[in-house]
Amino acid sequence: MEKTVLINCSPKKKLSVSGFIMRCAALMIRGRKEYLHLRTPADRQGILQALMNSGKVVFVLPLYVDSVPSHVLPFLKEMEAFCRENNLSLKVYAIANNGFIEGRQNEPLMQVMENFCSRAGLEWCGGVGIGGGVMLNVERIMIPVMFGLMILNMLLRGFQGEDILEPVQSFGTTIGTFLLLCCGVIAFTVRLAAHINKGTNAGKQYTRIMLPSFIFILFADIFFTILSVFQGGIFRGWFSRFKPDAGCSIITRKDH
Amino acid sequence: MKTIIHDLGKEQNERLLAAADQVVCADGRYAPCQGCFKCWTKHPAACELKDALYQSCRILGSSEDLTIITENLYGGYSPAVKNLLDRSIGVSTPFSTYRGGQMHHTLRYGTRNCLRVIVYGNITETEKNTLKLMAERNAINMGFREHSVEFCSDAEEAGGMA
Repeated sequence: MEKTVLINCSPKKKLSVSGFIMRCAALMIRGRKEYLHLRTPADRQGILQALMNSGKVVFVLPLYVDSVPSHVLPFLKEMEAFCRENNLSLKVYAIANNGFIEGRQNEPLMQVMENFCSRAGLEWCGGVGIGGGVMLNVERIMIPVMFGLMILNMLLRGFQGEDILEPVQSFGTTIGTFLLLCCGVIAFTVRLAAHINKGTNAGKQYTRIMLPSFIFILFADIFFTILSVFQGGIFRGWFSRFKPDAGCSIITRKDH
Repeated sequence: MKTIIHDLGKEQNERLLAAADQVVCADGRYAPCQGCFKCWTKHPAACELKDALYQSCRILGSSEDLTIITENLYGGYSPAVKNLLDRSIGVSTPFSTYRGGQMHHTLRYGTRNCLRVIVYGNITETEKNTLKLMAERNAINMGFREHSVEFCSDAEEAGGMA
């Protein structure tokens, strides 16, 4: 079976949603797999070499300003030239995630990836756009924490002679809730993986975390408020309309 | 304030100043956005990376009219221009709202006038449609009331269209 190359295109070193989605999707992809991270220009050559003996490539990307993150674009240009030079005929899939709740906001990114495939002579096989991807990270962090609390609770209850199964039920309810919130993401990722395994076109699909948008917005606002308190931004002109410094070096002004 | 952001090279700055109050040349020699959100949560409207782009969101935010001149790349902006836009999400705040029926961040600098995108280079019809969608999405995200996209064949012509 052909090797599948999975590329995490997040610029973050760790705890990226894209990296997490990549690992989850890979669980359902059969055959040989190679996991690569595209963060810096130094990563590009290694990824290109990995493409030489593969049949499918899966880009897992965050949405930045309605499109592909800027550090990925030079790589796509290099990959276009590389694939043409080496006459590669890869099947390309994409999984995009964004911080807004609507998965459909990934549409311009998907179109850019499709246009890239046309230019590079590669086969665009579609993908999934995920809205509210940041919730996956929250769940990834919360599940081990909740599991730890469950064990602690069971031990304490055991010492006191109380029912030790109650924390297990509570943990199960939490897991069930998390799975329910992610059911769209899970279903569409399973569907995409099935297409990757068969090498068929998955089309473009959009899904989201299953929360009403006003509740998601409320959670997001609380999250950023807490973060801004700890990092101090709330006390440094959180909503101020700052002007660029007079000495801002990239501006050329009329009066200069 | 009218601002032009372009990837035509610094030597075009003076020429473009005839059509704007300020000009920013995106030469791509900057670090990409790291997705840390510290331009919202730590030092608002300033990037964590202290290179030349660390106040780029303030430039965009203070522009009532913004013109972007970019080479086409797969129906999107050139890497240099995209780099600058990625580093400018501080034009909004971390809080969210609805605009155009979808979730977006609230605007630090309020609603502004017009986003104009001039695209040069070899462009297919499909890529033109992607660019039109991209400009529409950008205008909603950055809070511009109007937007337009124009296409031309080369950089020289694009500079003249500004």
